[in-house]
Amino acid sequence: MMLFPRTLEELAGQRGTPRAGGTDLQDRRRLGLSTGPIVDLRDLTGLDAITWNPDGSVAIGARTTIAQLAADDQLKARYPGFAAAAGGLATPQIREVATLGGNLLQQVRCWYYRHPNLRCLRSGGTSCLAREGDHLFHACFDQGPCAAPHPSTMAAALLAYDATVELRDGQRLTAAELVGNGSDPTQSHSLQPGQLLTRVHLPPAVPGELGAYLRATNRTRAEWPLVEAVVRVRLAGGSFEQVAIALGGVANTPLRIQALEAALAGQPATLKVIDDRSKVAVNGAKPLPGTGYKLDLIPGVIASALVLALKQQPGDKPAGGAL
Amino acid sequence: MTVKPTRRGLLKGTLGGTLTAALTGCRSEQARGELSQLTAPGEKIVDAIPVDVTVNRTATQIAAGPDTTALEAVRNQLGLTGTKLACGHGACGACTIQVDGKPVASCLLPATSLHRRRVTTVEGLATDLRGLHPVQRAFIGEDAMQCGYCTPGFVVEAAAFFDAWRAEHGKQPPSREVIADALSGHLCRCGAYTQIYAAIARACEGAYDNAGERGPRYDAREKVTGQAKYTVDVQLPNMVYGAIGRAHVAHATIRRIDWSRALKHPGVYAAVDLTMGVRTIRFAGQELVAIAAESEAIARHALTLVDYDLDVYTPIIGIEAGRTAKDHVYTSRATRKQAPNANEAPLLPLKWRGNLRGPFQLFSKSRGKARRAVTEAKDSGDAKRLAGGQFSTQTQCHSTLEPHACVADWRDDLLVVHLSTQGVHQAAEDIAKRFDLPAERVQVLAQHVGGGFGGKAVLSLELVAAVELSRQLGRPVRVVLDRHEELATGGNRPAQEIDLALAADTEGKFTGVQVKSFADAGVAVGSAPSILFRIMYAKTPKKLEDWDVVTHAAPGKPLRAPGGPPAFWALEQAVDELAHARSEDPIALRRRNDPNPARKELYTWAESLPLWRDRATSIAADSGRYRRGVGLAVGGWFYFVQPSARVQVDTTPGGFVVSTACQDIGNGSKSVLAQAVANVFGIDPGMVAIRVGDSKLVPGPMSAGSRTATTIGPAATQAAENLREELLEIAEAQLGYRGAQAIPGGLRHSAGETSWGEVLARAPRLTTIGRRKRDRKGYVFGIGGLAAGRYVSGSLQVSEVEVDTRLGTVRVLQSQVGLGVGKIFTPVLARSQATGGVIQGISYALYEERRLDPNTGAVLTGNLEDYRIAGLGDVGTIDIHFMQKGFENVTGGGVGLAELVKLAPAAALGNAVFHATGYRPRHLPLRPDRVLKGLRT
Repeated sequence: MMLFPRTLEELAGQRGTPRAGGTDLQDRRRLGLSTGPIVDLRDLTGLDAITWNPDGSVAIGARTTIAQLAADDQLKARYPGFAAAAGGLATPQIREVATLGGNLLQQVRCWYYRHPNLRCLRSGGTSCLAREGDHLFHACFDQGPCAAPHPSTMAAALLAYDATVELRDGQRLTAAELVGNGSDPTQSHSLQPGQLLTRVHLPPAVPGELGAYLRATNRTRAEWPLVEAVVRVRLAGGSFEQVAIALGGVANTPLRIQALEAALAGQPATLKVIDDRSKVAVNGAKPLPGTGYKLDLIPGVIASALVLALKQQPGDKPAGGAL
Repeated sequence: MTVKPTRRGLLKGTLGGTLTAALTGCRSEQARGELSQLTAPGEKIVDAIPVDVTVNRTATQIAAGPDTTALEAVRNQLGLTGTKLACGHGACGACTIQVDGKPVASCLLPATSLHRRRVTTVEGLATDLRGLHPVQRAFIGEDAMQCGYCTPGFVVEAAAFFDAWRAEHGKQPPSREVIADALSGHLCRCGAYTQIYAAIARACEGAYDNAGERGPRYDAREKVTGQAKYTVDVQLPNMVYGAIGRAHVAHATIRRIDWSRALKHPGVYAAVDLTMGVRTIRFAGQELVAIAAESEAIARHALTLVDYDLDVYTPIIGIEAGRTAKDHVYTSRATRKQAPNANEAPLLPLKWRGNLRGPFQLFSKSRGKARRAVTEAKDSGDAKRLAGGQFSTQTQCHSTLEPHACVADWRDDLLVVHLSTQGVHQAAEDIAKRFDLPAERVQVLAQHVGGGFGGKAVLSLELVAAVELSRQLGRPVRVVLDRHEELATGGNRPAQEIDLALAADTEGKFTGVQVKSFADAGVAVGSAPSILFRIMYAKTPKKLEDWDVVTHAAPGKPLRAPGGPPAFWALEQAVDELAHARSEDPIALRRRNDPNPARKELYTWAESLPLWRDRATSIAADSGRYRRGVGLAVGGWFYFVQPSARVQVDTTPGGFVVSTACQDIGNGSKSVLAQAVANVFGIDPGMVAIRVGDSKLVPGPMSAGSRTATTIGPAATQAAENLREELLEIAEAQLGYRGAQAIPGGLRHSAGETSWGEVLARAPRLTTIGRRKRDRKGYVFGIGGLAAGRYVSGSLQVSEVEVDTRLGTVRVLQSQVGLGVGKIFTPVLARSQATGGVIQGISYALYEERRLDPNTGAVLTGNLEDYRIAGLGDVGTIDIHFMQKGFENVTGGGVGLAELVKLAPAAALGNAVFHATGYRPRHLPLRPDRVLKGLRT
């Protein structure tokens, strides 16, 4: 069965799995991981706009496509790490139809979860098969019970940008509340059935803030991240004044790396400082037997992302030797 | 060398892995009740809504169910089969269509979302006004394709890119980075990236704005317009859909299979048992039953209703487990005979010790001498005299973008089989035998084949399923593997562990090579790379041992250059290691020890390359984050010909028709035939019509073993030359041209010149059949229609890499590849095949890796995200240098290169990584985690 609500009011009484771009849901339906009626959001109006408020904050409709986010000049100027994250995920064909809401609420890309014949914690089984099996691409901050990395690059971006999400009933959740703490092995987010994510709100950008996104991958392009980082930086007098860093690909939720943010604050924005301090990011990591290498990648990815951010500074390049 | 690879050898032990011995009939059962008569292809869509959409400028309506994809709607409802299903996962781009001018992956796009949108498929890119899109013409002109299966997707995306680029940048050419970004959602398994870059850049520059629609590849126009029909595109009236039920576990015994619930399901027509009496499950994905239904979806659903009563056991997964496990994959002499052959050579009797089979030592040479040399070098304690160690390589999947596919139509008088195959003639013979039919009652058709690489050289179970179901139902049955099935069971290059020691004297003369190799071909046996060690540095004594380690995994198959990439990965790194230990130029060391004449020339060529000449003199010369290095490796390969093959040339009043029962899997058979005949008559290849892909034509060669061009090129030439002589006689005797002599394009005679076209218009129809003449000095052996040539071809690759020491990535910047294969028949296509092979080699070295769950044996890399194939951005620039001499005794003057080019890439990259960083990689693929670990230690 399919429903085609045109307004949020119509949608209110409808039960089923919401479908926007379908890039995740179609795959899961074919695998039998999602069944039942579909609430097709095709005709729903009003959720695909980027709306700026007088205070400089922005509301982004959940049906805004990833390609729109990546191409929006205002977003690129004010939230460079956010826009870069959108432009850095998946492939052009996917970004064209995948939506912000869909990206945030997609399910994990674990090769056990999406295996046609295997059943894991997320798909009706009794244990995390990756934990006992082949977890080469899985978590290195093991928060249990599911070892798959959180799939949403945009969730990491929301976390770095202190974003909130709005639900159909008007309820607001912080990004951290949206992704939860990883203790529920069946969900990559905390929404209940029947709830619909309608908008993402970003607070006003800090004047002069810089930002960047980087993912480590095996191939050059078109790959899920081994480790990814969204960074925001505000400089004052050549030193880090404020830093925000969120990591993806390392845990079953995206993580804010507050220890490193604190370790960088007030320090001179040099390559040496970045390189030295980035190691702090792996404090508290709990790798699985096969994911220890990600602890080597994390400082490299963060440091590279910070350098990318600093390079945006007009005319003022970081100094202090190669990374 | 006494082993005689035979054509039969290619076929032995190949029926779907475990089922070789059993050539019995299949148990089968039909559903009761009337069969429905389908009126349209595809399936009835439950719960559908109408969707109004404009497709290729025509308003139409499609039916969209909850799970109907845009791809299904376009292909099945509108019959626009140019748009292809390959990965079904949004990763490969073969299904790309434009929606309101923007490219999207239609395999993941709900058909509902097309409502009131404008769709352009590959069939709609050309317009009446302008003809083909400039990008289509550029793909033709630059030969930016091989098998063509991914081409529609590339072209649809590139056309949108072109339109946007032109609007913004005019005729400025886009950079490689920009093109790689824009087309990052596309994969080409044949590796036509070098030509795809060129096509897009040149189109943007305006080079194809007014160009023609002809190019070097005979069937390019069909491929860029979506007109090329592959087996998956075949739709026959009354056709039903089959699907294969597979083992979900890797090790079990079968008590009972009960399909009664499945047969009761509406829309299900019949079931057949594919176990053929074998009661043991030995790998996940093993074929157990097949079900036919009115749609593929119903057939696949019905498979979930089949009840399997199994006793499940712990599987043995991986080489180490195979060596140490107390349980055995094959427990008796009788079951060992079921082990399929992973290789092309026939299986010789060898000892079994549990899961180990071996040693196979036949290709050793002065074994004792080799062993003593290695011992002596070890004992000397002199690092300059010994190199090597333990190397390992991963399992690589063929993963052709067109999956294994078959449409079988069992009629009273003729069994017609549309098959995605590398050998239509061979397949027809084998089908006749398998189903006990007279040869004339079987016809195999394959107009276009979406890649093979060795994975489609022999009959496999999708064919058995389709034929058996068709025989039951009296209707055509289509069976097509999905991507997971393809990656799980479609074929693979076995994983390999190689212990190699290379000993030399103090003068740098090789004194011995000792190799012990273990192959994990799953349930298959016979992987024997040792012959490759034998043909390299041929005068050096060698002690060579191959071992099979059987495990509970899908059987390996020959994959383009079987045994080659693992063997050269080990050998050519060891040679490099020795050169560095001796502080000697790696070319100098090789030259001293390599008697091969083809490579002697290549060494001289390589020394002239600035890339090689100007490389850093020290190891790890860069100290920063990004470190560049240059590596060199060589390769050598045999060549085969198929003397039994024939090529027929007919004349018609309109031109020449060339026919043979071979096929074009992207290797360019059609173009080779057209070019050969055109050369003889001095005419445009456009005057030559080609018929292949039909087993009823005169017998043609398989597309395997690098034999095609060197077989059909000379045969077509011979046929055409005979025909030319006959035409001259007729021109003189019957048409009144006095003193007729052949000149390019026609005749010269006493009254002037006349074109071949005019001659043909007046001449009676003629037919000649050509064959490939024997090589001047004969063959090493010839048996069963296949002959192994006397000469070994040579390759040399120099590659530059950049290692990111922070993120562990290895990027290939450029490769220079020299090939000594004699005469090149069709230069543009040969170059494409060479760059494609190098790209596949890079992909293998850096990314590709089948991974199995260590506990269950389930294939984890069952899609093209988890099974990584190199994309446009991963391959660097590649230049090919042909050294066109040295094969004067070979008929036609040249040998095949398809496999040769796959040997050196991995070792060249390994040697380059060492040169860049001082880290000597030993295990493939070169994943970031391995590189980081290697750099740390």
